[in-house]
Amino acid sequence: MIPPGLLPEGFRDRLPPQADASARLVRRVLDTAALHGYERVSPPLAEFEAGLVGRLKSAKAQDLLRVVDPLSQRTLALRPDITAQVGRIAATRMAHHPRPVRLSYAGPVLKLKASQLRPERELMQVGAELIGLDSVAAASEIVMVAIEALERAGVAGITLDFTLPDLVDTLAGGPLPMDPAQTEAVKTLLDAKDAGGLAAKDALAFLPLVEAAGPFETALARLRAFDMGGALTSRLDALEQIAAPLKGRVTLTLDPTERHGFEYQSWFGFSLFAAGVSGEIGRGGSYAIAHEDGREEPAIGFSLYCDPLVDAGIGARERRRLFIPFGTDPAISAKIRADGWVTVAALTASDSAEAQICSHVLRDGVAVPV
Amino acid sequence: MADPIIIAVPKGRILEEALPLLARAGIAPEAAFSDDSSRALSFSTNNPGISLIRVRAFDVATFVAHGAAQLGIVGSDVLLEFDYSELYAPVDLGIGHCRLSVAEPKALAETDDPRSWSHVRVATKYPNLTRRHFEARGVQAECVKLNGAMELAPMLGLSSRIVDLVSSGKTLKENGLVEVEVITQVSARLIVNRAAFKTRAAEVVPLVDKFREIAGGRDAA
Repeated sequence: MIPPGLLPEGFRDRLPPQADASARLVRRVLDTAALHGYERVSPPLAEFEAGLVGRLKSAKAQDLLRVVDPLSQRTLALRPDITAQVGRIAATRMAHHPRPVRLSYAGPVLKLKASQLRPERELMQVGAELIGLDSVAAASEIVMVAIEALERAGVAGITLDFTLPDLVDTLAGGPLPMDPAQTEAVKTLLDAKDAGGLAAKDALAFLPLVEAAGPFETALARLRAFDMGGALTSRLDALEQIAAPLKGRVTLTLDPTERHGFEYQSWFGFSLFAAGVSGEIGRGGSYAIAHEDGREEPAIGFSLYCDPLVDAGIGARERRRLFIPFGTDPAISAKIRADGWVTVAALTASDSAEAQICSHVLRDGVAVPV
Repeated sequence: MADPIIIAVPKGRILEEALPLLARAGIAPEAAFSDDSSRALSFSTNNPGISLIRVRAFDVATFVAHGAAQLGIVGSDVLLEFDYSELYAPVDLGIGHCRLSVAEPKALAETDDPRSWSHVRVATKYPNLTRRHFEARGVQAECVKLNGAMELAPMLGLSSRIVDLVSSGKTLKENGLVEVEVITQVSARLIVNRAAFKTRAAEVVPLVDKFREIAGGRDAA
């Protein structure tokens, strides 16, 4: 027998006030994106597995929670990420819309496995995607919307970490030729900044990339010094341009070989961190959407994950609830709600402000602290 | 003032060699740190911005991966065992050298051909690493997790083989075991929590640079 209330590993109920905080965070992010012209799409929780994979060029096979649909006998998968679904919408039902298309979304996503570091299997993802462009101008807009959204959601001490997801491939294809069989292993080592491992793999030529990571200005200078034959110049110039308006507003870092979660990104990627939150809170970057005719369309976007923010107490606000005693004229409570109060009406004579966790009580038409 | 940077250091084998490195990085722990009778776990240093915690080697990785400590010093054996995604290992400190090996009783080794294995039963402190290692060469490893005294396992029939750290090979020899396969060379690494590396880059990155310089100097010497 399953003990009452027990949920599967990695799932949980959110109660008041955390559930409200989560909803508030989602709303603020979507509202910010809406102000910049991003309109909401709402893809389904599950779809055919074939539709979920392969739309974005991913190096890694994804772990999906799958079921066989008893109706169609096809494999369904629960979405692990909404970005791919937005890509599908852009490439099918909205393929005829003029580009760029600006779309936003929010909803729960499911991971097959939880880890000790990220024990949740269900996450609330919210984000925005710009489809049809992945230029510096597009990147600047997406980064700005992401930062603005976090600020409006009340997140303080934001760190924006830039990365160049296709850097190793670019270098391996040019100034630092590498045995293709080795590339994956080297990328993994670079992702873990494993200096000892790189030495063991005879890939010391890449070590300056590990050493370059750090505060934006110093990292940029180190990369410019490392830049062989100018293979990186245009990318570094682009990063500088994107970073310029953000100086002083958020902490900027640059980590050229970061690959955590950048399985499908192309030239540009970024991760977001916040003071007091232990892990990453969001990420974004440029990528390509595959169309049915084999064409690849550039796109760029960001996703935020609300749960670590809610757990860190962000989005919470003081519970101001006004207790309306039994028998009060409904017109009075309506007027007081119009003034911005949250009212909690007593439905029986025995109810009390304490029982309803109210901060204030209505006495003679005035809100008095409890 | 902001929270201090916490460096997790392991009890035991690596600590002795790590202290001179810390000293060269300008980090001198308070007196209680070297006092074996002290029960304290957390220590201040001469630098008010840095404090130390002393925990088991395996816990160094866990503390740092969760961001409870920002930096740590730990053997690459531990990093391979956990394979934590939130850890960076930007500096090979060049200390605590040893190797992780498969060993078995001398009598078994005389007739044994590792090429013919399909299934092995192994006693080890490193079940994940061991399973991965054997899997990569097409062998299924059934692991018995022990926390110490691995050498007893073959003797008492708990398992036929062990996977453990070997430095001189003396312990193996004294227990009638021989090393049959080296899984990996091990050395101590400076590890950094991924989020701390970004959000506290201004404090963390110069520290990493300093350790890199110190470790680099050692290699050249």
